[in-house]
Amino acid sequence: MKKSLHIKHPYMMIIFLFLVMIACVIISMGYGALYIAPGDVLKNLFGISGEYQFIIQKYRLARVILAVLAGAGLGVSGAILQGVIRNPLASPDVIGITKGASLAAMVVILIFPAVPLIVLPLSAFAGAGLVAVLLIIFVRKKNARPSTIALVGIALGSVCHAGMQYMMVKFPGDVNAALIWVTGSLWGRNWDEIKLLAPWLMIFLPILFFLASKLDLMSLGDELVDGLGERSARLRFILIFAAVGLAGSCVAVVGSIGFIGLIAPHIARRLVGTKSKHLLPASGLAGSIILLASDTLGRGLMPPVEIPAGILTAILGAPYFLYLLKQEARKK
Amino acid sequence: MNVSGNRFVIFITAFILFIAGIGLNLSVGASHISFAAALKSLVVLDHSKEQLIITTLRLPRTLIAVFVGANLAVAGALMQAMSRNPLASPQLFGVNAGASLAVVASIVLFPHLNAFSSVGFALIGAATGGFIVYSFSSSGGMTPVKLALIGMAVHLFLSSFTQGIIILNESAGDVLYWMTGAIDGSNWQDVSVVLPFTIIGIGLAVIFSGAVSILGLGDETAKGLGQNTKGIKALVSILILILAGSSVAVAGPIGFVGLMVPHIVRKLAGENYKFVIPFTALFGALLLVYADVLARFIAFPYESPVGIVTAVLGTPFFLYLARKERNSR
Repeated sequence: MKKSLHIKHPYMMIIFLFLVMIACVIISMGYGALYIAPGDVLKNLFGISGEYQFIIQKYRLARVILAVLAGAGLGVSGAILQGVIRNPLASPDVIGITKGASLAAMVVILIFPAVPLIVLPLSAFAGAGLVAVLLIIFVRKKNARPSTIALVGIALGSVCHAGMQYMMVKFPGDVNAALIWVTGSLWGRNWDEIKLLAPWLMIFLPILFFLASKLDLMSLGDELVDGLGERSARLRFILIFAAVGLAGSCVAVVGSIGFIGLIAPHIARRLVGTKSKHLLPASGLAGSIILLASDTLGRGLMPPVEIPAGILTAILGAPYFLYLLKQEARKK
Repeated sequence: MNVSGNRFVIFITAFILFIAGIGLNLSVGASHISFAAALKSLVVLDHSKEQLIITTLRLPRTLIAVFVGANLAVAGALMQAMSRNPLASPQLFGVNAGASLAVVASIVLFPHLNAFSSVGFALIGAATGGFIVYSFSSSGGMTPVKLALIGMAVHLFLSSFTQGIIILNESAGDVLYWMTGAIDGSNWQDVSVVLPFTIIGIGLAVIFSGAVSILGLGDETAKGLGQNTKGIKALVSILILILAGSSVAVAGPIGFVGLMVPHIVRKLAGENYKFVIPFTALFGALLLVYADVLARFIAFPYESPVGIVTAVLGTPFFLYLARKERNSR
């Protein structure tokens, strides 16, 4: 049994994923306008050779670190949402969080193109937060079931979508820049964005790993959770809050990259099983790998045109997603 | 209360509102034309400025609102009957997203094609998107939530391709406006494109409405009643594609009409599709005609896409359906 073998050694799988991610990092740093062989990248990183130091340290290193961080954040966020909503199809992009961020970013890009760059991620975070707050208000007030959370999220997402379209039509200034942002791309990101994103990850990731065992409880159903002495509504609130914060901060810096939050947890579940203790780190690593691979492909496929990473995550993610759906359908 | 009498009253009321809506649609706008002048210019040829505005700009637009509204609403009603899922609608079934992708791709790849061939592409795209979602939602036990999540994911998937095409080809402006579901640039050619599909689609839907009612009872019951469910489902699918695909081709992806209208109609006129389909067509046209009037006031005197109005109206409705779904269990 191949599958059970994987699940018996979840830590081995996590280490394996980590190594794959490191390999992706090194390969990704080599690609771009100037190709740098993986060996040279390594030499440079360990200070043995200073040949490409400027390119690597100033540009590419920041970009891959950002890809690793954002991919991990989205992956973990998706894993938590799927656990809380108890539906394998939930993810930050499906339930409208990234749409809120997109709308806010679009307002900034199209109406206030002159503001300093730092405003863009902040407003995107605010947009994601606003959708999240609305979602949570609705969910708390009605004491809703998980499936209602999903539907409310989809509805909020479609309002944001209408808003985005209105913005594009009304203020046709730099629509292309806005669209690239909405699709999600790592283009032109540097250390500033890392400084923005890293603190949020440092806040949310430890909270979530701490709550991992509680997340396992959530899958048992509200009655059991309450019976075990936990308050299911409060627990759900905290978990959603953390997941949304995580997704919002990632989307704020890299744009609304889709499908990572949807796909990464599934890959992780297949490799390490469903225990959150293993699932969360594995989802994070899988998310990082997907984003790194998409970003690298986007730069390498048809240079000098750079395909936004968000398009490639969709192209890579969608077939896998359809395959998942097929399996879902077969289970019935 | 006498149900058929009730229906008759509702139909007449809706029809009067509909006629009033058309009048409003013709007279309101950047240059206001009085109700009477609008009607007069339809009947009497006087070559006035008002008549020019009405016959070249407003009338085709109003007709598009009528046909597209009816098409989308009937497509939604057929989908809800076939999938027996209250949230089924062209938007959630990936039909809009699929048609959008195909039309955007065709505009970029073959820029010199005319409006008729873009209908062809829209139909292919609508079929693809609809097929992906339907093939997963048809195998029993598909709850509305699952359908919504699958539909949303397929929508995200298809629309990221559309975005990619738009980003990589910088002729974005025109396509973007179309993508929001806008009918204010409609002309007589658009009318002639969509009209045959409306007549055939809604006509066949009315003719087969009895079979559709039976389909809504579920596969086993329908088979037990001697219905050829496979054949009827295939026919209904084709009707949905014709109706939704042609609408998206001329008006862009306008959301929520196909979701809202059938629910309202079933509440008013009962579950019998003999009545549901004509009512849905009328109410769909009514909704879009008024939505189009509203769209002119959002940023007056500038036009706004009607798709935004339907989205704003439709979202609370969607939430209402989501809540109802919860209570019914």
